Amino acid sequence: MVWKIGLFVIFVWVILGTWMFEPPMFGVSSPEIYRIFYFHVPVALVTFIAYGFAMYQGLRYLNKRDLLYDKKSETAALLGTIFCALAAGSGSVFAKFTWGTFWNWDPRETSIVVLLLIYLAYFSLRSAVADPIKKANLASVYSILGFISAIFTIFIWPRITPGLHPGAPGDTASGAFIKMSGQTWLVFGPSLAAFLIMYIWMYMLSMKVHALREGKLR
Amino acid sequence: MTTLIPMFVSLVIWLVLWLYMLRLDHRIKELEKNVQ
Repeated sequence: MVWKIGLFVIFVWVILGTWMFEPPMFGVSSPEIYRIFYFHVPVALVTFIAYGFAMYQGLRYLNKRDLLYDKKSETAALLGTIFCALAAGSGSVFAKFTWGTFWNWDPRETSIVVLLLIYLAYFSLRSAVADPIKKANLASVYSILGFISAIFTIFIWPRITPGLHPGAPGDTASGAFIKMSGQTWLVFGPSLAAFLIMYIWMYMLSMKVHALREGKLR
Repeated sequence: MTTLIPMFVSLVIWLVLWLYMLRLDHRIKELEKNVQ
């Protein structure tokens, strides 16, 4: 219970810091919208961690051939996709107030759509195969390919293709790697930790529900 | 004032979400006890 209260307190701190402190000054226009940084970036990073965790569980399945690891991989990827959709949504709000429209097909926006499609295809693949062993084999290999593509779509593609997003080549306002002030770190660090704890909590609950459905606790 | 309203709304959303998660957690724990 203590960590749950801790999570509550951290998020309250993040919310207070987001709205009470000066907004992060990465851009030259509309600094107020940069407050969304404290939500958008941690959520996007948790997406990446979640897909990495899905791959890790996929590898464990391929090593041990225990279907529980496949379920863990699926759960991790499903939650990762929810966080990915939140990152895309918050990015779209940022786009509206910074570049004028909700969607500009900027390389970063395009790459997150590609990432979402890759993981929607992962769930389509799972639902298309009836045999649980065959499904787990295919999904585990796909989770590895999915994470490799996540590295490319999150960290490489938007950094080599000129675009509107902060951090894109030619971005003179924030540079290739955003430099954060001490005050920004005071909110960003706890925000990343809080979203990660939230993800772990959701993952644990999902796995408990799975165990209950299976009629055994593992 | 312009930041107070969204801050209050954010706090309310988080409180509701946190309470929902706690309730979910509690219900799952009860189900686990029944299974055992």
